[in-house]
Amino acid sequence: MSKVIETSHLCRYFGEGELLVKALDDVSIDVEEGEFSAIIGPSGSGKSTLLHLIGGLDKPTHGEVILAGTNIESMTRSALSNFRRDHIGFVFQAYNLIPVLSTIENIEYVMLMQGVPSSERRKRVFEMLDILGLDGLGGRRPAQLSGGQQQRVAVARAMVSRPNIILADEPTANLDSKTGISLLDMMKDLNVRHGMTFIFSTHDQKIMDRARRLIHLRDGLIELDEQRKEFAA
Amino acid sequence: MNLILRLAWRNIFRNGRRTFLTCLLLACSLIALVLTDGVMRGMMDLMVETTTRTFAGEAQAHKKGFRDSFDVDLYIEDISIVANKLEADVAIEAYTIRTMSGAMMSSADNMAGGLLWGVDGEREAKVSKLKEALVDGSYLTGKDNEILIGEELADLLSVELGDRIVVTLSQVDGGELSQALFRLSGIFKFGMREIDSSMIFINLAQSRKILGMEAGAHQVAFNFVNAKDAVDPESATIRSLSTGDIEAASWVDLQPQMSAMLAMVDFSLLIVGGILFLIASLGIINSMFMSIYERIYEFGVAMAIGTRPSQMVTLIMAEAFFLALLSIVGGMIVSYFLIDYFSVAGIPMGDMEFEGISIHNNIKTIFDISQFTVLPLSVVALTLVAAIYPALFTARIVPSEALHKSL
Repeated sequence: MSKVIETSHLCRYFGEGELLVKALDDVSIDVEEGEFSAIIGPSGSGKSTLLHLIGGLDKPTHGEVILAGTNIESMTRSALSNFRRDHIGFVFQAYNLIPVLSTIENIEYVMLMQGVPSSERRKRVFEMLDILGLDGLGGRRPAQLSGGQQQRVAVARAMVSRPNIILADEPTANLDSKTGISLLDMMKDLNVRHGMTFIFSTHDQKIMDRARRLIHLRDGLIELDEQRKEFAA
Repeated sequence: MNLILRLAWRNIFRNGRRTFLTCLLLACSLIALVLTDGVMRGMMDLMVETTTRTFAGEAQAHKKGFRDSFDVDLYIEDISIVANKLEADVAIEAYTIRTMSGAMMSSADNMAGGLLWGVDGEREAKVSKLKEALVDGSYLTGKDNEILIGEELADLLSVELGDRIVVTLSQVDGGELSQALFRLSGIFKFGMREIDSSMIFINLAQSRKILGMEAGAHQVAFNFVNAKDAVDPESATIRSLSTGDIEAASWVDLQPQMSAMLAMVDFSLLIVGGILFLIASLGIINSMFMSIYERIYEFGVAMAIGTRPSQMVTLIMAEAFFLALLSIVGGMIVSYFLIDYFSVAGIPMGDMEFEGISIHNNIKTIFDISQFTVLPLSVVALTLVAAIYPALFTARIVPSEALHKSL
């Protein structure tokens, strides 16, 4: 297994002087290809900050992030956007989708940006709709979908462009328990079948139960990096 | 359709009320500009018409030097040279031959100085509004001793129809004093003080006699079939008349203060447009920022999944473009009907004097193709310029910060 994510002495501070807040302090982690890992910890522990730094959505105060062998710190904003588009899929807590686009248009958004030909786009979109149980919902706008369906569309959008890594920031936070379990099982299945790397930021027990690795954060520091024995080969 | 354009088009309908109000602002700016332009053009036409068609004519021919000195000795001796050319010119609607000299008028009660014009009544009626301006008495019929004076001058001289007026003037070629007795045959009122208080009209033949001229004239005033021909000071007619010791000029050269005023009118339209554009652009910027702040989380997501900053700029600029497009379509439709309506009904301005020119008629708006090409395009350009700042702001959004914004 090769490393898809390497963070080295990652720090992210906000404010200065007496108001300095160390959201993340000297965090170094390596993530192997195909991992299904969760960054856990209480609110304010730095989970989302770490996920955003890994995804290139924010710049670290110190340290570096290497994704798929590329140091993203040296990239321009435009190049970083292209890198995210081609290598990273994002699923956020809620309001993930673009309200004025239909399910199909939301799913093919990234592929349109990539310039994937129309026939290939449609093939992949319908494949995703089928896998994620969204058949018949392709023409609906996000407002016409339930929270669970919206999150599945977001997962479809994150996966359809076949990125190396999927970063999910509390994807089940706004879902009821049953819908959350169903979504996680689906993501787990995709991880197993397609070998995609999933990293979650969460304090949802359901995700922790399914993660093979739990990175415990507290006050911006790694408290524990735990490989789950029950998932050992 | 390109994804960004599709997104932009749909985005502008997300908040219908705001879009409507923004479009209303832009459309109203366009309507105001088109109407201002239409009114200004109407006013300019009316001013030119008032100046040229009241008395002066759209162009005039004189002996060289006369316009500078008004020396009665500088008259065109063989008027047929000019008259024949004008008769043969299809661009000419009508012309009139005039003599002109300073004169002293005296009545039983008073005396006053003024300008004595000798005119051919029939020809004069086709070029100027002298006949229409008559408020009392009768027009020139060609008989001797007929004289028309303005209402104000009649008051000054305390004369009524049929009263005697003695005119004293200097003859040409020697300056001998000459006197003639007239009976007031008509009183006119142009509504322009300069004419009503100091101009006197007698028959051309008698004026030649008392001036000691045989067949000449000081001025030939003429109008074109198409008034626009007069705007070109180098037109074929003007050039053909300007030979030998005769010089011809259109109102553009004869009335330099009018040309300057028209240039000023263009400049005022620019100022009005500038102010309107400034107000509209502030409205657009405000509206676009409200729309951006409402969608900041969404923009964060869009940037997180790979939308480039340049694509965000394109999105905002496209939204502005579509807003402008909707606005100008609405604005042009309303403008068309307003311009059309006021071009017939006119805008009542009462009796107005502008830069010494009296305007009595309603100002009728004038349609011009630029109102529906240049002005709408200016509105689009303005909207795009106003959208640059919001667009750049959007491009600089840091995804992680946008994702933390409250929804």
